[in-house]
Amino acid sequence: MKALFAAALVFSLGLMGCEPPMVYSTADRRQNTALSRIEGEVVITGKARGAVVLFLFDATRPPPPVGTGRPVSLTVVPRDDVFAGSNANDTGPFVARYAFSLVPPGKYTVRGFIDTNADFVPWYSVTSEVNGGDVGGAAIDVATGASRVIDVSAEQPTVVDVPVSFSDTATVTVDRPAFSESTGNPTITVTASGGNKVFDINATPLNTGIVHEGKPAFLVKAIDDNKDGVPDDTNGDGLPDVWPKIFVRKLSDLDNPLADENDVDRNGVLDANGADYEHVNPLTGTTIPADGQPDAVVLAAGIDLTDILPLVLEPGGAPKPQPTAVASLHIVMKPLAIDVSNPRAPAPLRALPKGRYALTVMQFTGQTWRVPNELAPGVSERFGLPTVASQAFVIQVP
Amino acid sequence: MRRPHLALALALLMVPGFAFADARSQAKKYFNQGMSLINDGRYEEGIDRLLQAYDIKPHPNVLFNVARAYESLGRPGLAIAFYRRYAETEPGDLTQVNAAIARLEAALPKPQPAVVAEPVRPAEPAKPEPSRGTVDEATMARLQTLAERMESALSKIEATAQATAQKPPAVSTEGPQRDEDDDGLTEVPYEETVVTASRRAQSTLEAPNATTIITGEEIRLSGARSLPELLRRVPGADVMAMGVASYNLSFRGFNQRVANKVLVLIDGRTEYQDFLGLTLWGSLPVGLEEIERIEVIRGPGSALYGANAMLGVINIITRAPGKGSAAELTAVAGNSNRAGGSFVASGGSVFKYRASAGYEQSDKFSRDYDDGRPDVQSNVEHDTLGLSAARANVVATVNPSKDVSVSVSGGVNRFFTEIYALGLLRNYFLDGVNGYALADAKLGPLKLKLFWNHLTGSTGPQYSAIGQRSLLTVLESNVFDGEALFQREFKLLGTHRLGAGASSRLKRLSWGYLSGMKQELHAAAFLQDEWRIIERLLLTVSYRLDYRPAVEGAGPTFAHSPRVSLMWRVNASHAVRFSFSTAFREPTFLESYTDIRAPVPGINGASVLTQGSTTLNPERLTSFELGYRGELGSAGLTWEVALYQNQVSDLVVLSAVNPVPADQAFDERSQSYLLGRSTFTNDPSSYAARGGEVGATWAAVDGLDLRFSAALQNISSDAATSVCGPCSQAPTFKLFVGATYRTPVDLDFSIDAAYTTATVWVEREPDPQDPTRISNLQNPLPAYAVVNARIGYRLLKDRVSVAVVGTQLAQPHAEHPFGNLVNRRVFATVTVKP
Repeated sequence: MKALFAAALVFSLGLMGCEPPMVYSTADRRQNTALSRIEGEVVITGKARGAVVLFLFDATRPPPPVGTGRPVSLTVVPRDDVFAGSNANDTGPFVARYAFSLVPPGKYTVRGFIDTNADFVPWYSVTSEVNGGDVGGAAIDVATGASRVIDVSAEQPTVVDVPVSFSDTATVTVDRPAFSESTGNPTITVTASGGNKVFDINATPLNTGIVHEGKPAFLVKAIDDNKDGVPDDTNGDGLPDVWPKIFVRKLSDLDNPLADENDVDRNGVLDANGADYEHVNPLTGTTIPADGQPDAVVLAAGIDLTDILPLVLEPGGAPKPQPTAVASLHIVMKPLAIDVSNPRAPAPLRALPKGRYALTVMQFTGQTWRVPNELAPGVSERFGLPTVASQAFVIQVP
Repeated sequence: MRRPHLALALALLMVPGFAFADARSQAKKYFNQGMSLINDGRYEEGIDRLLQAYDIKPHPNVLFNVARAYESLGRPGLAIAFYRRYAETEPGDLTQVNAAIARLEAALPKPQPAVVAEPVRPAEPAKPEPSRGTVDEATMARLQTLAERMESALSKIEATAQATAQKPPAVSTEGPQRDEDDDGLTEVPYEETVVTASRRAQSTLEAPNATTIITGEEIRLSGARSLPELLRRVPGADVMAMGVASYNLSFRGFNQRVANKVLVLIDGRTEYQDFLGLTLWGSLPVGLEEIERIEVIRGPGSALYGANAMLGVINIITRAPGKGSAAELTAVAGNSNRAGGSFVASGGSVFKYRASAGYEQSDKFSRDYDDGRPDVQSNVEHDTLGLSAARANVVATVNPSKDVSVSVSGGVNRFFTEIYALGLLRNYFLDGVNGYALADAKLGPLKLKLFWNHLTGSTGPQYSAIGQRSLLTVLESNVFDGEALFQREFKLLGTHRLGAGASSRLKRLSWGYLSGMKQELHAAAFLQDEWRIIERLLLTVSYRLDYRPAVEGAGPTFAHSPRVSLMWRVNASHAVRFSFSTAFREPTFLESYTDIRAPVPGINGASVLTQGSTTLNPERLTSFELGYRGELGSAGLTWEVALYQNQVSDLVVLSAVNPVPADQAFDERSQSYLLGRSTFTNDPSSYAARGGEVGATWAAVDGLDLRFSAALQNISSDAATSVCGPCSQAPTFKLFVGATYRTPVDLDFSIDAAYTTATVWVEREPDPQDPTRISNLQNPLPAYAVVNARIGYRLLKDRVSVAVVGTQLAQPHAEHPFGNLVNRRVFATVTVKP
């Protein structure tokens, strides 16, 4: 037995060593991912002061005005990290580090702004965008001048260095297009047999609580994306496309009063499962059965251009280079529902899906405003926001 | 012809001492066998057995019973010799014993009549029988020679015993530093005793709670280097190893990250960190080699210990100063960077001391992340280290008289350990210093205890996402505690043993995770009466009132903790107990005042605010327990069974993450946007925990001890939701088996295995697709087994022992879904007692 003991002792001595402990990923999901990091410097030129808010966007889902994407991450560079010790008249450049941590593989763009009036809160639609005075910025591809697309490899987690530039030249000139229905109607009802609905919306100052939209306005401007000097006409109706764009989107049920239908988590991406409707072939009028995929339903709506065209077009028909601020818009809404789950191929529906619809105005600056929103009675209390009756306006399909 | 007992006594001097795995059990086995033989009239064989028992573990009452047996055998010279030895221990009945000696001496020339011995020392000495004749001078001379020889033999026996135990065979007069100044000796020799259940020494048969004792010898033979690992053998114990020194411990369910419902004491001084609600096992200022025994009280203990003794009490009782080896050196080395050593010195006569110093380090079982990652970095310099602890401790005591003693002690541990934090937080480190100073005094029936606990250090997540805001911080905790305990016995319709006490505790905490320095002054008073209505029926009634001062936004509160226990001792070896008790756990400073902004993983500009609440109710427990404990002393077999029902309410939990008011959305402190707030709150659900536990030990043959325990439990909730974390997180069944064998050829073997059934843990995690969405996810954890083994070899008359220890020898496993992958450790130890 003593020999056995001696053998065990020798064996154990042989095991002694300083090999490092193994790496073992537990059930914690964060340990089971190999992620990357995007970091770099913000470089600011100008007199604007404030915390720098940076957004990381999925490059395939760009934010307004190009798309409707929402940021996948945000980071804040504290004001003191950037401007500590500077005088009000100093124009910099000011430099500070930023980082987006734990970035999954994908293609991204980085945008941001200097929150000069400290009124940005990302959690509410009424506070989650830039306002007048804020200074925009982005990571730019110096070769093209366009937004830089950052490719985070799926093969190998990495660190990508991306500078983000801000300049006073990108100062936002107006507040967001906060609006209300001109007559104060809480609801406009749309029916298939009721014909077009026409109503006005007015830019409405809102200075309450943390919401500061003191000077809202609608910036009207003809769209000329291809910059050929001719206004675009994407729907071929013979009328130029014009900013602001109007969206009337079907809402979810009353349990999620502000969420879009089929986007209950409000991440801007359709849910895997959801409401699906019959489509109609616009050429033949035949019904296309529901395909089992959730639909993104909007009602056909736009701006009545009667009074707008002179504001957006030169006498020769060319787009005016500068927008014009107006206080009111004439909205025309048709009794037509469209599935825009594939934005490149909008598909009309057989019938108008019943329910509530929200109205969104999108400026060419990317600023938007949507009604109903978190200021609506019955909703605002949940968020600790002030109540504004006009912000409960909703379009109803009975 | 030489008497067998004398031959045995002398033989014990001639050969190396035969060691036993559990000395008390073996001694008791021999004692019971001896008394049985004496009762059968087989005096000489019986005396042999008693002397064997005495050799294993000296107890003064054995001397008395040997004397009685000799008296019965008609050998007054030997009887006188043993009575004298007994008298030297200054027993309570010294006057009667001296009278017996005088009587025997007076009657020495005359032959003595037989008297049947009693199994235990009676209150009155045996009366002399009338003489029946005379003896001649030759007989007298022979008896005298025998008496002298026996005196000599006894001296040597005691010398041998002292060599191993360093304790005179006398009723203890050790100082109060050993918790309620009791070393466990009772009237009944070798009866297993516990001091924690009633704050005085009593038989485990009569304790008002289910109890388990882990002896120092058991600890040493197990080879364990971690105290929680030892506790796997306790029926009903939930031991969860998150890391090499990061353990969570509970009894009868309700284990969790930062387990906070078991009070851990060292010599009656709390090691439970009030501000966090856990025990930092790696920071204890005493080493395993200093432990005399560990008493584990399963079930509520608030009636005596107040807050936090909710599901159990673990009292680590260290060796009395002056007891044991004068010096003991231990060195440890093994794989995974395990290295350490310790030194313990003990000695003194009137002024006794024990001093120790030690160091231990070990790597983690596993690392959560590899080095050089672009996304996550370690926040500690040595990211492989799981534990390092450099400690020193000193105890000194003086006993001016048997009823008066004063003891002072102090210790410090400079440590680095892991803690697995709550909620969205994960593995933390704590790099700091844990220290204490303690003064105990026994003044007759009054006992005073004053202590100061101090903890300071830096802490933070072991790993964090690069670029995210740091959560590294520093803390300093100070606890000042004073307690007075008065105990006396009186008779009124039976025998009463009354205990009354009062205590006060000042807690001060400065921590970056709180909003400013926090301080609370608590007070408590308690009363307990053990009323022995008749000899076999004991009613224990306890009540404690704890006062919590008014704190921010909340008025003062009082917690009431009654306990009633009725024990029926069927006979000397069997007892049945029914207990009703309540207990509570005070909200910790973490739960009351915490104010943490934890970055949302992957969204550097957002945080989740975790806040405490000063209006929390204490967690409450109401318990009903039926216990049975029995033993078959002559076979060395003991067993216990406990059935319980616990009703638990007001559990303190983290609420869901709820939105903060819009005007608070931007947080200036963290310069981030608050996604929401999670607040510590009382769970509105109530939980019922029902279960049964069984435990047994068997000193099967000389040197061999077998141990077994099993626990079955079920936890249910009255909550309407289908997901019940405390229900699915509690293992349904746990099993422990162990064997220890000390061979006569100086080799020791020990092996134990613990099995725990599968569980499902409900833990909070952010959605990987949308980290702003935080939800409770169910994480299944498979069943696992823990196997530990030790082979030791003793040499140079036990002065040196060398051992090889293997821990976690079964399949690598995790004991929590987020815990380390617990894997095999092998190390060697050398212990030298110069």
